[in-house]
Amino acid sequence: MNSQILINYIAFPLIKIAILLAAVFTVVAYIVLVERRLLGFFQSRLGPNRVGPLGLIQPVADGLKLFLKEDLIPTNANPFIFKIAPIFSFFPPFVGFAVLTFALPLIMPSGKMHQFAVADVDLGILLILSLSSLGIFGIILAGWSSGSKYPLFGSLRSASQMLAYEIPLTLSVISVIMMAGSFRLSDIVTAQQTYKFYFIIPGIVAFFVYLISVVAETNRTPFDLPEGESEIIGFHTEYSGMRFAFFFMAEYANVVLICMLTPALFLGGYDIPFLNDLELYKTHPYLVNVLGFLSYAAKSTLFAYFYIWIRATFPRYRYDQLLKVGWSVLFPISLLNLFLVALIKLFLMK
Amino acid sequence: MEKIKNFIKMITFPELIKGLSVTTKYLFKKKVTEEYPDFKPHIPYRAKGKLHVQIDTCISCRLCEKACPEWCIKVFPPPKEQMKTDKRPQEFYINQEHCLHCSLCVDACPTGSIHHSYEFELVVTNFKELLFNKETLPYNQLLKQYKWNYIENVPVRPRTTTPLEQKENTK
Ligand code: SF4
Ligand code: SF4
Repeated sequence: MNSQILINYIAFPLIKIAILLAAVFTVVAYIVLVERRLLGFFQSRLGPNRVGPLGLIQPVADGLKLFLKEDLIPTNANPFIFKIAPIFSFFPPFVGFAVLTFALPLIMPSGKMHQFAVADVDLGILLILSLSSLGIFGIILAGWSSGSKYPLFGSLRSASQMLAYEIPLTLSVISVIMMAGSFRLSDIVTAQQTYKFYFIIPGIVAFFVYLISVVAETNRTPFDLPEGESEIIGFHTEYSGMRFAFFFMAEYANVVLICMLTPALFLGGYDIPFLNDLELYKTHPYLVNVLGFLSYAAKSTLFAYFYIWIRATFPRYRYDQLLKVGWSVLFPISLLNLFLVALIKLFLMK
Repeated sequence: MEKIKNFIKMITFPELIKGLSVTTKYLFKKKVTEEYPDFKPHIPYRAKGKLHVQIDTCISCRLCEKACPEWCIKVFPPPKEQMKTDKRPQEFYINQEHCLHCSLCVDACPTGSIHHSYEFELVVTNFKELLFNKETLPYNQLLKQYKWNYIENVPVRPRTTTPLEQKENTK
């Protein structure tokens, strides 16, 4: 009895966490490389291709470089908060991965079902949203504790930007939740499978509002005002070495998390397009698992590409324009859309 | 009608789509990067590289030494008696360490013995390697290879034509 509990509640989740973390770290490391190379291609360059074949060992080299750099703490800084701030912004995205479901449940030979998720909790999306707003703390603390005014300005910019875009983001996610009738991510995907259409069709407006506000939430170009790598002095100006790497990885982990969340919400997640998954699942469960995972990965890759594409194309917003778009365009649109989706749900989706 | 058109324009964002299509076009275009160590880069015709001295035709006049703003050329003419028959310098030093590649020495030389080559790889681990003398000047190593015969068509940069010469050429 005791050993059963040990296996089910401690050993199994730990193995799952280890696998997930390893996968996420690899993906986060390589999305940086992919982004740099793709940006190069977009600008008629080749990008980093020297370290290893096709530059595949570049992330290791970058990591080593950052690791070996001196870790400076400014004299004016508050050392304790300065040290703890990167962790605040580092851990939320990684926790967010825990609630993602990657495929239909695995049926063991003994007849037991295993979810392809570390914790498929029933408030999954809410957890991710609240964690993403927790990430602001890391940024504000980093800016404040640096003991220098420009990081402070950067962090304040970031805070008001995130506040402005979190509301349309949440409202557009709520329209999805209304259509699915559940906060659980696997339920949302199953709802799309049973309705036999993806939520992007009734929620096309919500999808675009979500796309825009998510770019702003992750502080990426058109909206990278908190920290413009090229020009703007941002919240992690005073950071160097490993602590800077934490912020850097947090940013990209956020991107990966969003890239994996978007298909689950709007494009049917691990649903295989043009196939009746739930029927096929009864006869060939393993095949559906593998194919579903692959289709999920493909959809996520599409979004990752889209992010990089946007970054290569658009110039940065001005700050007042940014807030104007957030508050006076996206917010009313998402509210109206919420109303519309409610009507659709009431009359068309039985 | 105009209003409907404007409304459609407002919600479809044609500018954004245009921008995205431009970047996509560049994604598949040929890249302009020259992968230097693997492929030698294209060197322009009048590039100013490392200095070469053709010791055979040098008359030890030391004009290049005087012309150099960085004082990086040092010519040792032969003793006076020898000057009557053989004017080739006893020793010829070029310190590429502070050469500006300004080609003032090239313009000053009356015999055209000193000139730029197309060699541009001047990275060394020791500054002393940039001090070239009669033996180590690249042209002389070539000469050694050819058993000290005169070589034609050495890959060197042509002398800069002065405006006067250009006028004459066009006549
Ligand atoms: S190129 Fe200019 S700096 Fe170099 S040796 Fe000649 S005169 Fe001196
Ligand atoms: S100016 Fe020409 S000829 Fe005179 S010393 Fe220099 S290289 Fe020799």
